[in-house]
Amino acid sequence: MANDKVISLRIKRQDGPKTAPYWEEFHIPYKPNMNVVSVLMEVRKNPVNLQGKAVNPVVWECNCLEEVCGACTMLINGVPRQSCAALIDKIYEQTGFGKQITLAPLTKFPIIRDLMVDRQRMFENLKRVKAWVNVDGSWAINRGPRFADREQRWAYAISRCMTCGCCQEACPNVSNKSKFIGPSHIAQVRLFNTHPIGEMQKEERLNALMLEGGIQECGNAQNCRQVCPKEIPLTKHIAAMNKETIKYAFRRWRYKDSSGQ
Amino acid sequence: MNEKSNFLIRRIHSLLAIIPVGLFLCVHLCLNSASLLGGEDGYTWYLNVIKFMKSAPLVWAAELIIIAIPILVHMIYGLWIVYVAKNNVLNYRYGNNWAFYLQRITALVATAFLVVHVILQRFLEHEPGAVLESLALTLQNPLYFILYAIGFLAVAWHFTNGLFTFLISWGVTVGDHSQKVCRVISLGLFVVFACWGIAILSVIGGFIPGFGFENI
Repeated sequence: MANDKVISLRIKRQDGPKTAPYWEEFHIPYKPNMNVVSVLMEVRKNPVNLQGKAVNPVVWECNCLEEVCGACTMLINGVPRQSCAALIDKIYEQTGFGKQITLAPLTKFPIIRDLMVDRQRMFENLKRVKAWVNVDGSWAINRGPRFADREQRWAYAISRCMTCGCCQEACPNVSNKSKFIGPSHIAQVRLFNTHPIGEMQKEERLNALMLEGGIQECGNAQNCRQVCPKEIPLTKHIAAMNKETIKYAFRRWRYKDSSGQ
Repeated sequence: MNEKSNFLIRRIHSLLAIIPVGLFLCVHLCLNSASLLGGEDGYTWYLNVIKFMKSAPLVWAAELIIIAIPILVHMIYGLWIVYVAKNNVLNYRYGNNWAFYLQRITALVATAFLVVHVILQRFLEHEPGAVLESLALTLQNPLYFILYAIGFLAVAWHFTNGLFTFLISWGVTVGDHSQKVCRVISLGLFVVFACWGIAILSVIGGFIPGFGFENI
């Protein structure tokens, strides 16, 4: 009985970074409890399109399958989200059973092939803002200072960011016309500037956050807050860092002398 | 700081819009409210206000420093900001995203409006009576009245929504609660400004029978 039900897919494909994109449709036999990743695996098992033509299997990335790595992020019915966490039955609850599901690659990153994009830029920008805690040697050092409980609670929420790119995808100010590092990275600066050890490089991160493409490029459209799969209150962290960068800019100017300190 | 950065210009861009441009807008509306006395009284008062402002000492310096330069800086850098945005309101239909989009649309409309407004009311006519007369004649034409009103509404939205984003950009409103409260206040201010401005335009254009400047 379930055999005659199909999942109808419409996938935006692209054979290489420089070739033209095209749409292709697939029908996959319906089974309960599938997600977009398992549907794409079915396509790979039998890559025949709706016209009955054998085609190259659809390329996509996935890794953890539990919404913590961010690798399988794509546009599902136009919304940036992780395909492992996109359950077909849940999608049908909203759209109606059997309604065609559209899959497309993220638009703010260079396309490698089909649904696979190059997200290197996000990792380069994490390096730019020094989103880490420095360890100064390989010898044993004692326990470091601890996070105060009141800060640990909200900082933990930021640490759940997986650099998936949803906020960057939804942000109107992240585009090939600007160098904006994006909402996620501003929150990361707040996380590492709050960390009791990370705090020691606070100024370096604030400085990086104010360079070209920094926090000033935020236009307060606040889509980031809406699409974050980890529900990180990005707009709050951006506003908090707005205050920090302005305070820092004044301080830097007031203290500036020939030593450059 | 020798690295290339637009941090300073972005923050100045945001500050100039409130101080002095926003403050000037409020003063400008207050002075124009003399017309709201209506009829002959309103006309006389309004004319006196224009005469007074035009004869104030160093008014050219005030015009240049408080009005022209800040608006031009805000306008020219703002056009770049409008260009950079890749609007996506059709994919992400959230209220604040619409506000973001409208902020950019109103930026363009307000720019066009201000260019026309300044040419007509500041450069083409200089004698106070002539300024007022040409404005009244223009506004009596319903088409020009509507275009003028659209221009003013764009300015009003751009300013009141700009107050909301200014408070975020300067780290004043940080959490959801304060941002929501300020969003409501900014929408309320927009309604107030809209009614205020349209009322002034209606009186000058003579659209309120027996109260406007139609017979003067």
